[in-house]
Amino acid sequence: MSTVVATLAGICALGAAGLLPVLATVGPRWYAVPLAPLAGAVAASLAATASLTFGGALLDWFIGIAVLGAGAVFALLVVRPDLGLRADAPRRTGRAVDRVAGAAGFLVVVVACAWSLRGLQTPTVGFDARALWVMRPGWFLHSHAQLLVDLRARDLVLTQSAYPPLLSASVAVAWKITGIHTARLGVTMVAVLDACALAAAALAVVQAGRTVAVRVARAWVPLLTGIAAAALLVVVAAGSTEPFLTNGYADPLWSLAAVGAVAFGLQLRSDPSTRAAAVILVLVAGMSKNEGFVTAVALVVLVAARSVGVAGLRGARDRLVTPLVLAVCELAALAWWPVLMKAIHARGASSTFSASQDLAHRTDAVVHGLSPYLHVLVLALPLAVLGGLVLRGVRRRVEVGNDLWAWLALGTGLVAVASALVTGSGAIGPWLLSTAHRITEYPALEGWWIVGIWAVVAVAGLAAPAGPAAHDAVTVGDPAAAGVGVDTPAVDDLVGADR
Amino acid sequence: MLVPVVSALVAGIALVALGGQAVRGARTVDVQLAPHAVHDAAVDDAFYACIGTQAHSLVRPGQAVTLGGTDLADVVTMIKGFGSWVTVADPPSGADVTLTLHDGTAGPGTCRGTTVVATTRSPDGRTVVRVGSGAQVSGQGPPPAPPL
Repeated sequence: MSTVVATLAGICALGAAGLLPVLATVGPRWYAVPLAPLAGAVAASLAATASLTFGGALLDWFIGIAVLGAGAVFALLVVRPDLGLRADAPRRTGRAVDRVAGAAGFLVVVVACAWSLRGLQTPTVGFDARALWVMRPGWFLHSHAQLLVDLRARDLVLTQSAYPPLLSASVAVAWKITGIHTARLGVTMVAVLDACALAAAALAVVQAGRTVAVRVARAWVPLLTGIAAAALLVVVAAGSTEPFLTNGYADPLWSLAAVGAVAFGLQLRSDPSTRAAAVILVLVAGMSKNEGFVTAVALVVLVAARSVGVAGLRGARDRLVTPLVLAVCELAALAWWPVLMKAIHARGASSTFSASQDLAHRTDAVVHGLSPYLHVLVLALPLAVLGGLVLRGVRRRVEVGNDLWAWLALGTGLVAVASALVTGSGAIGPWLLSTAHRITEYPALEGWWIVGIWAVVAVAGLAAPAGPAAHDAVTVGDPAAAGVGVDTPAVDDLVGADR
Repeated sequence: MLVPVVSALVAGIALVALGGQAVRGARTVDVQLAPHAVHDAAVDDAFYACIGTQAHSLVRPGQAVTLGGTDLADVVTMIKGFGSWVTVADPPSGADVTLTLHDGTAGPGTCRGTTVVATTRSPDGRTVVRVGSGAQVSGQGPPPAPPL
């Protein structure tokens, strides 16, 4: 079996595990396609954690979790048919252009992602990838007792083996079902998962264009802008994340997943479908790497805060309970692996933080070390200020989330990474030299996504608002059943600047 | 009047900036396809495949192994070469085989001058040293370091 076929088999296995839960929660949307393998990767990560916690083979747990997910979907459809796929699908009528734009956007993004993976023609296996990310899958296929030894034995020296398991577990599933245990298969699996996260984040921009198009008279303008911005963002992201996009590193996956989570959870109009997409992407980010874990925790809090809004804080029980329960469940899933690493005394699970003697010097070094990779902020910040001052009415009218949410998400991720560097015990110079490019991927990409969303919003300011007839023609029936606009009154309540 | 002007300005700047950065991004990806990158990747793959094959020639399935030597770089090289499949012993004293790397042995039968060496203790208490076989890569020294 060739590596290409084995990769397809591995991705199909992950996609099969994630398909039904994604369809049930996200609905039959174009962005559900890349989310299915990512949800399968989350299942693989949970399977690895469960295997280590309770014993049993990784593949058995993976199949069990997939079956459990599918069973839960069927049970939900039986108990609450009103929440089923048919009810969740937006019934768009009278706007063929919207449907064509959705399909065209998907095709353009897929082609752009495939083209961006051309670096795979060079069979590079990155240093950390060979030492950790595509080496550790073999451990997940060992016996439970041996897996414990692998994670604890001090003479294996690498402390990073306590990092979250999503990448290695996904590769382990592919190794197991294909019988091919090569680093190359690991790299191609990780690269395709990267592309899925990239596609999901880009399709959020296409979706933004479709949402905006509903509110303006010349719908094709924001539709085309959304597609163009999404395609450009894919190429920009590939350039920002290479060579790590195609050499097996974890940084592109968590960064792209976090960017997608911000797009769906904090930038797009909040509805059940986008919130579900955000949950999947948050879990991918948090289960991929320690930096992703810290960022994911922050994103869980921000998305919950946005969902609760001022209405929830004022005591609207239905606005308070569901987001908080969901957030607690997400945090529990994210925390399972790191807590387990502490419990088994895994190598590298103890804190590496220390009260540095020279915080000022380290802070200065971090600022200078990270700055060259964050030049996008010099563009995004003034653009956002200008847009926020003049176009906030347009942004509110087209129901795109307040820009401050995205900036909060960017800031928390950046502060988390910078804090780890400033307070860490490692020599700051070599640390920055070897990691600055990778650990700034998330804030840099988030900056570009902010720019892309502003491009879509801004073209709405050039077009006259749609009349009531145009708006009504798009989504018919019960808005809640259609899955759109369910809680739009509180979209920006927390920040409140738009209202 | 202000909104259309600012809208045009924001949309124009954003799309032009995205286009410009996309051109840069495409060039960055193309660098991965340069002949030297392909060559370095091939040497790197061959080196670690060679290390893995030599280790396979020294360790039977199920044998507990410890990674010997004091050179951190050698330990990392062993982890990269065969860390995924080897059965690590904990504590190390319980190992059946101690694997180490011998560097700088130029000549045939080596992985760019490096060989995997197994040290075992026979039933009569003698120390047995065996050298890995089954693969070789010409050249000298570790493969070019991939980007960190």
